[in-house]
Amino acid sequence: MKKIKQFLTSPAATVAVFVLAVALLLFSSIGGARAALAYYSDTYSSRVQMYDIGVTLEENGKSVSWRNYDANSADGSWDESTGTLLTQMLPKGEQLQIGRKYKEELRVKNTGTINQYVRVSIYKYWTDAPNGENAGETADTAKRRDLSPGLIKLGLVNTGREWLVDESASTTERTVLYYSKLLKSGETTPLFADSFSIDGMTATKVTQTTETKDGYTTITTSYDYDGAQFCIEAKVDAVQEHNAEDAVWSAWGKRVTVENGILSLD
Amino acid sequence: MKKKTTILAALAVILTLSAASGSAWAYFTTYAQARGSYPIELGDRTTVEEEFSAWTKHVSIKSEPDSEPVYIRVRAFCGEAYQLVYSDASGKWSPDSDGYYYYSDVVKGGEATDVLDIKIENVPEDVKDPASFNVVVIYETTPVLYREDGTPYADWSAKVDAKTVEGSV
Repeated sequence: MKKIKQFLTSPAATVAVFVLAVALLLFSSIGGARAALAYYSDTYSSRVQMYDIGVTLEENGKSVSWRNYDANSADGSWDESTGTLLTQMLPKGEQLQIGRKYKEELRVKNTGTINQYVRVSIYKYWTDAPNGENAGETADTAKRRDLSPGLIKLGLVNTGREWLVDESASTTERTVLYYSKLLKSGETTPLFADSFSIDGMTATKVTQTTETKDGYTTITTSYDYDGAQFCIEAKVDAVQEHNAEDAVWSAWGKRVTVENGILSLD
Repeated sequence: MKKKTTILAALAVILTLSAASGSAWAYFTTYAQARGSYPIELGDRTTVEEEFSAWTKHVSIKSEPDSEPVYIRVRAFCGEAYQLVYSDASGKWSPDSDGYYYYSDVVKGGEATDVLDIKIENVPEDVKDPASFNVVVIYETTPVLYREDGTPYADWSAKVDAKTVEGSV
């Protein structure tokens, strides 16, 4: 026993073990190479399920914006596009009519390969109209906080059972909707909005400026909403099906309950 | 030395574990967003054009080219001794119980109403100077509003919510 111990602790033993390891490594690779040379397999097909998440916002039946993960691409990157809403609202040359209801059908499509839960945040607000810009185009202009977002009427539909309004997160400027059902890969939600209009009240809000000169008083009336542009913004968030409650809490900071594939707000 | 090795080993284990827990907490998420905007234009500038002949005022209201579409109504006032008779060739002016005559068409920017004739009757024969009569014509406009289906209408009962600002000259 003592002799064995002495041999194991000797440098010779270390060298021997190292040589043995190298030899084993070499032989193992040679074996693999032989196997590759000696055998071939018949034609076969295999299927690899990729877990790609993707979501698309649709306006009047057309894809507007999307962000889809593509694991098959060379660098495993995102296929994404951010579009503009309301571009087809009016025929060219026609003016917006105050009070008229325009078609604005919005919904969400699961364009990934995994099932998901989705929510939509809608923002409505007013900005100054940028000079020289064509109607329908977007630009970063300052928000007009003196004008009411409530006068921009987006016709929400299918709320209550299919789209749940998160009252705690909603204001006159923002509305947050959760789709209560699991949105399966390739499927589309029911509409969450079908129309929009500008309230006729915009034509009653005026500012009267009184100027007195040489004993004469001139009252000039200007419309508060004249020249302002309304903005509608929709943001769709999607999260994986598995561990949905924790995923929603982690990603969106909202406590929800998911039972039998039905999501409800806590 | 041994202590240092132990700390390094422990650190390696913690790092490995934290890397694993990081992946466990990551969830598949994505998003898509879009924005749209549109300017609205309000406001109108109109002027009244009057001609006088044969004890009749010929009134037409003109909208300036950059004005938004409006509806128009007109009413005239004079002394009790005389009577005003309204008429028009186009048939687009019609009276209502409030004494106003309403123009049926929407008047767009750059357009004008058809002429409304306001005749002063019972003028004594010895009166020769029209300037001795004081017939005041008042006209009002209201922006064209639209129903949900796009049908235009006028809301004459709408009350303006006005803020008053003192200007400086």
